[in-house]
Amino acid sequence: MSEITPNPAPNQAPVPSPKPAAKPAEMSRGDFLWAGWGMLAAFFAASAAAGARFMFPNVIYEPSQKFNAGQASSYDLGVSTKWLNEQRVWIVRTPSGFYAMWARCTHLGCTPNWWGDQNRFKCPCHGSNYTLDGDVIAGPAPMPLWRAKVELAPTGDLIVDKAVLENKPGKREDAPYFASYAAA
Amino acid sequence: MPALDLETIKKEIIDSQLWRSVFRGGVWKDTPRDRAGHIIGNVWLHLHPVKVRPRALEWAYTWGMGGISFALYLLLTLTGVALMFYYRPTIGLAYRDIKDLEFAVTLGMFLRNAHRWAAQAMVVAVIAHMVRVFLTGAYKKPREFNWGIGVLLLTLTLFLSFTGYLLPWDQLAIWAVTVGTNMAGATPILGNEGPLGSLVGMRINNDVRFTLLGGTMVGENTLLRFYVMHCVAVPLVVGILLILHFWRIRKDSFSAAPYSAAEEKIDVWPHLVKREYIAAAGTVLFIMIWSILQNAPLEAIANPNVTTNPSKAPWYFVGLQELLVYFDPWIAGVAMPGLIIVGLIAIPYIDTNPKGVGYYAWKERPFANALFMLGIVMWFALIYIGYALRGPNYAWYWPWESWYLPKAAPPPTWSVFGPEGVGAYSMLIGIPLLGALSAAWMLLPKLIQRELDGRKAMGGFLAAVAALAVAGVALGRMGAAEGGFLLFFLGASFYFGFVLPQRHIRTLDWPRYLVTMVLVVSTMSVLLKMCARLAFNIKYVLTIPSINMNI
Repeated sequence: MSEITPNPAPNQAPVPSPKPAAKPAEMSRGDFLWAGWGMLAAFFAASAAAGARFMFPNVIYEPSQKFNAGQASSYDLGVSTKWLNEQRVWIVRTPSGFYAMWARCTHLGCTPNWWGDQNRFKCPCHGSNYTLDGDVIAGPAPMPLWRAKVELAPTGDLIVDKAVLENKPGKREDAPYFASYAAA
Repeated sequence: MPALDLETIKKEIIDSQLWRSVFRGGVWKDTPRDRAGHIIGNVWLHLHPVKVRPRALEWAYTWGMGGISFALYLLLTLTGVALMFYYRPTIGLAYRDIKDLEFAVTLGMFLRNAHRWAAQAMVVAVIAHMVRVFLTGAYKKPREFNWGIGVLLLTLTLFLSFTGYLLPWDQLAIWAVTVGTNMAGATPILGNEGPLGSLVGMRINNDVRFTLLGGTMVGENTLLRFYVMHCVAVPLVVGILLILHFWRIRKDSFSAAPYSAAEEKIDVWPHLVKREYIAAAGTVLFIMIWSILQNAPLEAIANPNVTTNPSKAPWYFVGLQELLVYFDPWIAGVAMPGLIIVGLIAIPYIDTNPKGVGYYAWKERPFANALFMLGIVMWFALIYIGYALRGPNYAWYWPWESWYLPKAAPPPTWSVFGPEGVGAYSMLIGIPLLGALSAAWMLLPKLIQRELDGRKAMGGFLAAVAALAVAGVALGRMGAAEGGFLLFFLGASFYFGFVLPQRHIRTLDWPRYLVTMVLVVSTMSVLLKMCARLAFNIKYVLTIPSINMNI
């Protein structure tokens, strides 16, 4: 027998179609609307996603994170603020070598100040306090200060790379976050 | 020679074809029909109804703060467009252009002052408007939706201020935006430093902070993005929401207060429109005088490597800055502001009290008014602490203490449930204990069927806390000051977080009750955490470092 057509005319007996198998399935009005609205919704969703993607730049022009901190021999023991203003890094010399601390508070990114008399870094924005090692002792900061990769070049210069960071005790004390340097 | 007759001249002008082509309507006879026509026939005025209830004209009732906010918004648009003629949003030029505006451009200083002061006045006016609307119950049915629009407008007002103060590219600008965008970086899931962020692959160069900055650090792209948001994108959204806000005021009518027998509606022209003009004129005058007397602040040119000490946000964000001292960034900077916004929008849907619409009703709405005003007072108390009591290194300085006085280093902090606290097994003991405590706190007020005697409950609780404090002092575990802190903060939390809900909302249906209690307990947790940090140096009540979960 015949298929049931979607919208049979009223008071009319179903007429056997001549070629039932060959005729392509018709889309009902409801399905068509669903598909239409669905495509419109998909278009808007895709547009929103594309718009969001547009806000992520593919190329950014930012300064290199690597710099030459000068002759290792020129540093005294303790914290040097020599590069703070230009590179946002403290060079710390210990009896056995160097580490470079990135001067960015791990709380919300302000630059702490070094207070030698109290042996602390103190952040001016929300009052976080750090030890010389960079560990948090007071205030809201959630984790220790980051140490940057530091290498002693054959020329005797310290090369600091702020793109390579570590702050976990046990890891941060070793190369490449610590450059051994014997006192001359 | 005939004397100049002003009336004749006026008539000649008004009856001229030119005048008639501009202003619709026939000869003005000041009939009610003329007055109605003046509103309906004017595109600028026709958002008004033709007649309003007399209460709409009472300053003591409306405070005029909605209209004043709008007047300030218009003033900000005008002064802002003027400033745009001389300002270029690039790192090399922005600060120089602001200096030029101050010292080389005629009226430049005045316009910048006016823009800055009007922005601050608008923050005050919008908050005052919200307080007024709350206290007169004007958010209740059918105005729930418009209250929500208003909350969004308040948020956008603050966001406009935030995007605005990056533009001068001074030290305040760069550090406020550094902190603000790092808060975005602490957003759960969407930020690279937020809880779960690294699990879903968030890095410094693909998270929500990256889109805000247009880079991995505050730089050229950031300045341009904030400039576009401040001058174009956000004002557009505000404009759209303002139209919606005004349209709903018009549709929902001015007040749902019950009509009194003697009440007769008043013509909007001239009575209301006249008052609006007076308020706007007064506002402009106020801003002009303020701008002549005081110059807008401008700090040293931005230095992305060195922060001023102390570094403080503009006053209306200092409360948030102070909150960030006590809570992790994702809580204080993302979750709490989000909860405040959502909670404010939710108020009309959880407040089922039909009383207090259209009048100040302290006795009839004790719970709603007390909790809302507590929130407002806490916000301004935090602002006061951050603004007045914080000195170098963001240490606590009393007003009578000199900032040159070196402060002892703050004592080390500790965590109650964490690696080094009393309960080292934070997951095993801390989570169940804290979970049970907060669940009990949320459920108990409703589960105690009989209404407690407020005075007795308060007295008993305070006596217990006092006994605890005395015992603590006697055992040498705390000083008298810590005891005082404990008494004040625990007492306030108990009163607002337990006694009031128990007495006033325990009959609320469960869904509304639970939503309300989540908001109430969250508010109280701010008080309790402040007490824990200020008096007992507690950094976290519970910390699970492996997933960045610290509360």
